[in-house]
Amino acid sequence: MSSDPLHDRPGLSRLRAVAGHDLALLVATGGVCLVGALLVWSATHRTAGTAYLVRHLLNTAIGFALAMAVTRIGRQRLRFAGPFVYAAGLAGLVAVLTPLGATINGSRSWIPLAAGFTLQPSEFAKVGIVLALAGLFADRLDRRLPPSSRDLVLAWVLVLVPVGLVMLQPDLGSAIVLIALAFVLIAVAGAPWPWVVGVVGLGVGGVVAVLRSGVLSGYQQDRLLVFLDPERDPLGAGYQLAQVRLAIGSGGWWGEGFMQGRQTQGGFVPYQLNDFIFSTAAEELGFVGTVGLLGLLGFVVLRILLVGVRSRDGFGRFIGAGVGAWFAVQIFQNVGMNLGLMPVTGLPLPFVSYGGSSMFAAWLGVGLVNAAYVARSRDPHLT
Amino acid sequence: MRTLLIAVAFVLSIFAAQLVRIQGFDASAVAAEARKQRTATVAIPALRGQILSSDGVVLAASQERITVVADLTAICTYQTKKNKCDDASSGEAVGKAAAALAPLLGQDEAKLRENLTGTARYRILERQATPLTWRKIADLRIPGIYKDQTPGADVSVPQRTYPTGPAAASLVGFVTNDGKAGGGVEQLMDATLQGTVGQVEYETSATGEVIPAAGQTRKEAVNGTDVRLTINSGLQWYAQNALAQKMEQTNALSGTVVAMNAKTGDLLAVASYPTYDPNDIGRANGSLTNKAFGEVFEPGSTAKLMTIAAAMQDGTVTPDTPVIVPPTLPRYDQVFNDSHAHPTEYRTVTGVLAESSNIGTVLVSETLTPKRLEEYFRKFGLGTKSGTGFPGESAGLLTKSEDWSGTQRATVAFGQGLSVTAIQAAGVFQTIANNGVRVEPRLIESTTDKDGTVKQTPASKGSRVVDEKVAKQVSEMLEGVVSPNGTAPQAQIAGYRVAGKTGTADRYDPTVGGYSGKTASFIGYAPADDPQIVVAVILQRPTNGYFGGSTAGPVFHDVMTYALQELKIPPTGTAAPQLVLDVEPSAAEADPTTLRNKPKGSGG
Repeated sequence: MSSDPLHDRPGLSRLRAVAGHDLALLVATGGVCLVGALLVWSATHRTAGTAYLVRHLLNTAIGFALAMAVTRIGRQRLRFAGPFVYAAGLAGLVAVLTPLGATINGSRSWIPLAAGFTLQPSEFAKVGIVLALAGLFADRLDRRLPPSSRDLVLAWVLVLVPVGLVMLQPDLGSAIVLIALAFVLIAVAGAPWPWVVGVVGLGVGGVVAVLRSGVLSGYQQDRLLVFLDPERDPLGAGYQLAQVRLAIGSGGWWGEGFMQGRQTQGGFVPYQLNDFIFSTAAEELGFVGTVGLLGLLGFVVLRILLVGVRSRDGFGRFIGAGVGAWFAVQIFQNVGMNLGLMPVTGLPLPFVSYGGSSMFAAWLGVGLVNAAYVARSRDPHLT
Repeated sequence: MRTLLIAVAFVLSIFAAQLVRIQGFDASAVAAEARKQRTATVAIPALRGQILSSDGVVLAASQERITVVADLTAICTYQTKKNKCDDASSGEAVGKAAAALAPLLGQDEAKLRENLTGTARYRILERQATPLTWRKIADLRIPGIYKDQTPGADVSVPQRTYPTGPAAASLVGFVTNDGKAGGGVEQLMDATLQGTVGQVEYETSATGEVIPAAGQTRKEAVNGTDVRLTINSGLQWYAQNALAQKMEQTNALSGTVVAMNAKTGDLLAVASYPTYDPNDIGRANGSLTNKAFGEVFEPGSTAKLMTIAAAMQDGTVTPDTPVIVPPTLPRYDQVFNDSHAHPTEYRTVTGVLAESSNIGTVLVSETLTPKRLEEYFRKFGLGTKSGTGFPGESAGLLTKSEDWSGTQRATVAFGQGLSVTAIQAAGVFQTIANNGVRVEPRLIESTTDKDGTVKQTPASKGSRVVDEKVAKQVSEMLEGVVSPNGTAPQAQIAGYRVAGKTGTADRYDPTVGGYSGKTASFIGYAPADDPQIVVAVILQRPTNGYFGGSTAGPVFHDVMTYALQELKIPPTGTAAPQLVLDVEPSAAEADPTTLRNKPKGSGG
């Protein structure tokens, strides 16, 4: 860095520092957050005025600051921080199961903080796993070696422990995201296919075991299975899905207009500001708006994957692939349950759904990717 | 990597297909389903039309009323600044609400408090709150107290009041608690009076508030059409009271007074006793039906004029045809008497009617075939409903002549063995009074819709029963009845010529299954030479004197006197004709046209 020829031109230096960031990713993500803020506002203004709009924007700002902080920490230090972040995430997942945690809607997923704020450790566990696995596999990938068996076993353990903890909450959606991103990372590491498929098999087996063990309450089972049979729980989860469908269908091709969606404004869709914010977009902005929103989200995911693919070091590749897989799976999952194609698992739509923990975690993910991007542009000749 | 991409593409295309399906192809159906879920409807009650008398007096009117209901799960938050009931403060909150509401609802506070305690979401507190009371209640801003506007529910039914109370009760009818017509004109004209309930359709949120972005469709209520009767309120009131008074005097079972315009058939008064107060229908213990339309009775002597008019119309007798009236008359298996025992009398046909001789009337009737007699009876309106359509109206009972029994062949001539309603009986006299043309009675004069458009009910059609000459002759004979020599001198009215006929019939009592008690009646009209008003008075089973002349006659006198004054009908100033009631026995015996009891087997 000391070799920077523009070192004595602080103005230009700063400009270059800005230009060194993945502006496309940051702007697109910020745009998605803004759209999210408007949708959250529309879904809540009748009962809460601008409160949720302000908080969503505040969350976005904090998230952006976190991303910048992560970028500033830099790729190298992040590699070292990986195990600690992972450990912190694990500690959070354990803590949530202790009396510190709070049960909401049947899942013990939240740790109440002061002033009504809550923390959802499973969101941050995603960041921890991405970092931990990236750190684990990066060295050998940098040397163009396939992962060792020892690494793979360790990777399995690193994934399955948090998956198990998450399932104890139980939070099926987060478990699926964790398994999916582990699957992608192990595959990217170049592991032989039994290892890749094995993590999925183990994860799915664990999930099934938990499902059958009776950890889930009747309510949660209904919620998971109702998408197959809406009559299963017509007043609870079935009602939820029916209302979501009515809202989405009411939008038609062109939508009813921002803040004009009758189903949304009428407050018919429960949990619309977080899990089902997609239905607000669908009703008020119509098919066209929905496709636009998904295009924007798709751009963010593709951009993240592109950063990973273009990254010259293994760590960057893993970060890109991990965060990209994480977002993609979560978007699939969320949109799928809005469309009645996937079980209702309570996963937020990244950057769009209202919720602090998920917003911060997602921005942390963006921060990691941005750090990888910055590292690559700063060290053009590394490896 | 390639398989992953394919998998992603596959999932994406499924999502896209689902999105296109919901938002594209199914959109209109889904949107309609959603709209249906959001749409709420509120009824706007329509005020029922008024019922007015011919002279413009309101007989029935409606006032807007509000049903106040309570959601008990919300009242307990009154003045607690909480959103939900709380055991600690609920009791006090309900107490405050009860204290505030009790004086407005006019209910006992302790009782109301009990009524407001619980978890019911819907409890009716008051069905008949005035708009002013409701406004005061609404101003209290008690959560959970609201006015019921559920469409279709039996709520917010406007209150129906009957300013004249029992005077026209069974004629006007009443409306039940849920706004449905319960008899009388209310039922007869229900479709006209009802109006159309309006409604407001709007879209509500899941919690029931109006969604401002959505519009509303409003269909205004159309108030009912006013109905004006042919009834004269003063005469109705007077007739009802005169009847009630006589009923108490004679301790009769029931009674009716019908006053009718002789030329148009318009009903001027239809009194019926016992009556009830339509403003307090719950406590009505009298008869809810109008006896003048619904109660049938054997008319007795008042039917004699049909027999005599028929014979005169067919030319088999004239008013002066002599009749030899024996003390008794055996027919079939029975021996008939007159009401007063007498030796053989030598009378004219006029005399037979004036003295109301059963035997003489049977002899007159025997100049006609039973079939011919039945035809005339039917032309006079017997055996069919009057045409007013009044609910519960009876057609009376007139069996076909070929089915008449041996004695019935004789009894129908003097009004036994057939039954009529008071309206039909009055119609017979109206026919004679109107120069032989029968006019169907009319009860509805006109209707006035909300725009003020008046629609007159068409005048009733007339049908000729007997010639004008016959009608005039019969009319003069009827004047003889009211003469000092007739059976009802009580019916005379100073200054006016009055025609009429008494009736004292055996009363068929279905509870006994035979005759029990009498039906006393007097039916007549005035002025006799230019008839304007027909009045029929019928008393069922009077126990304190039962002759039509002495019981029904005075009521006729009073009601007719009032009617002539009320309708400002001047006396004609002419004198009644001198009638020939008797003939010399020798002249009668010598006259070949004389009617006499022919020995059996002599034919005819």
